[in-house]
Amino acid sequence: MTAVDGVFAPPSEAWVRVSPRLITARRLVLALTLGPVVIAAVVLAALLSAPAWVVGLVAVAGLAVAGWAWWLIGRRVRSYGYCERADDLLVTSGILFRRLVIVPYGRMQLVDVTAGPIDRSLGITTVQLHTAAATSDAAIPGLPPDEAAVLRDRLAAVGEQRSAGL
Amino acid sequence: MTEPTAAGDTAPRRTHPSTVLVQVLRSVPVVLGAALVLGLQVTGGEGLPSGVGVGLAVLGGLLLVAAITAVSAVAGYLSWSRRVYWFDSSGDLRVDSGVLTRQQRRLALSRLQSVDVNQPLIARLVGMAELRVEVAGAGDSRVVLQYLTESEAQALRDQVLARAAGLRPDTGTAPQNVLVSVPTKDLVVSLLLSSTTVVGVLATATVVTVAVLTEGAFGLIALLISGGVPIFAAFGQFVRFFGFTVAESPDGLRLRSGLTTTRTQTVPPGRVHAIEYEQPWLWRSRGWVRVQLTIAGAPDGSGGQESPQAAGVLLPVAPREVAEAVVDRVLPGVATGRLEWQPAPERARWRAPIQHRLLGVAADDQVVAVRRGRLVRRLAMVPHARMQSVHLTQGPWQRRLSLATLRIDVAPGPVTVLGLHQDAATARRLVDEQATRAKQARASAGPDRWMAGQHLVDPIPEE
Repeated sequence: MTAVDGVFAPPSEAWVRVSPRLITARRLVLALTLGPVVIAAVVLAALLSAPAWVVGLVAVAGLAVAGWAWWLIGRRVRSYGYCERADDLLVTSGILFRRLVIVPYGRMQLVDVTAGPIDRSLGITTVQLHTAAATSDAAIPGLPPDEAAVLRDRLAAVGEQRSAGL
Repeated sequence: MTEPTAAGDTAPRRTHPSTVLVQVLRSVPVVLGAALVLGLQVTGGEGLPSGVGVGLAVLGGLLLVAAITAVSAVAGYLSWSRRVYWFDSSGDLRVDSGVLTRQQRRLALSRLQSVDVNQPLIARLVGMAELRVEVAGAGDSRVVLQYLTESEAQALRDQVLARAAGLRPDTGTAPQNVLVSVPTKDLVVSLLLSSTTVVGVLATATVVTVAVLTEGAFGLIALLISGGVPIFAAFGQFVRFFGFTVAESPDGLRLRSGLTTTRTQTVPPGRVHAIEYEQPWLWRSRGWVRVQLTIAGAPDGSGGQESPQAAGVLLPVAPREVAEAVVDRVLPGVATGRLEWQPAPERARWRAPIQHRLLGVAADDQVVAVRRGRLVRRLAMVPHARMQSVHLTQGPWQRRLSLATLRIDVAPGPVTVLGLHQDAATARRLVDEQATRAKQARASAGPDRWMAGQHLVDPIPEE
């Protein structure tokens, strides 16, 4: 297991992890989307005068899925990490499908900082780097706003210095 | 980017007045067709009407066509009269256009990606051409000047290239020598043997068989409908790639092709972001390959734009050695044959049973290359300096097998660079090495103005 984990190991020091408030944000979104669905399913089962055990089964299944997603969100958010090096930024994420992307500062075209309503109320933002490639996709969610602003300015500054056309 | 006026600003000019005529002429078949369909709808609805009715319908239709044509002519005239182009004092191409919404566009020629001279059929008949100038940019980053006389278009192209190269604008046409022209016979055979055609024909055969089995002889009608698809697809490519020539000049590669609409694309040196050899399995015995090309700013093949750069084809079909010789001109000094391939490990067959033997990754001091595919073999190469970012990904099944995939991110285009199912530790090492190599390559990258610093004619000093 250690050998495999080494594949996505940080380059030198440890990964900088994102704020655990992202877990809250994502769980909130989960509750707001999956919650009504589960409740609706249970109510529907009850209305169709299904036997009590069927209603129970639906409720248990719904809760199980929600619980699994709940647990997964925690793991997934904890898997996010980034690392600033002298010439490039590394971002990693994912549990089941793992990913590591290296974006050279000289290739950055723009840096986005975004925050939705839930993110804002919890005080987190997403920093996203764009290069000329559409597939670069280096987003770091769950950064505290001041940290995000500092990171954005730092990235923009190094990007400027090391810019190398396309 | 302030450069001395040695670059020479020019007075604003309009495109050729006959632009309006050509544009109207180009729209006439569409309008006529629409009117015809509409007319048939109206008259056909109540059975065949009397002679007077037909006469009225025809008259009404003609009036409608005339009215639409007149309106489009006026609109065309207005938009033509408001569209001017010139070179400003810093040597960039400026285009002002728009009637209600005015647009001022400035193309930084140091970022030039390609210049095309295109001639749609009708424009060609009256000796007109359009000039399409493309700079690096994610979205709409081009200027299309419709229409200029052929000689004007070529002169303007030469000027754009000279200014972009950092030469005096009056340098004139760069000499060119033809490297390859694709014989029509090869093109036809290659299109018939291409995977799309074969799949299309098989699909048609299936549809027709099923239709005949269920509907009897009546099912043969399906042939009329579905049989057209592969024919149209192949024919479309034939028209587009007819007479394909690749020529070399100091301005870069000139790609010329087209049966009805002729297109001449110029790709300046050092603009190539990625290259891919593609070999459908039926081409293998003949040793043919197709070469795809990614240039920044050019739309990918999925776009509706009907231009050769949209398809990003450097060579529609050619023997391998010929293709390699052409690729050598755009990526000089890259020896595809001498790359040291890192094959995917044997256990990759559990993840990719069909193509695992063909997977591989290689890198030398100039490019990173990957190969994949069984039915359609692909070999893609990216110059280190053009890599945008690098990915390492691992799915659950890959993790069990201790495999990982690396992906080199490049500008949008036809080429996807995937190093599939490498040994996980090796893949990580390759990714790290790739980041270092790309950094070194960027540091030593050539100038945007490719002639600047050379001893040719009076270079315009950069900044």
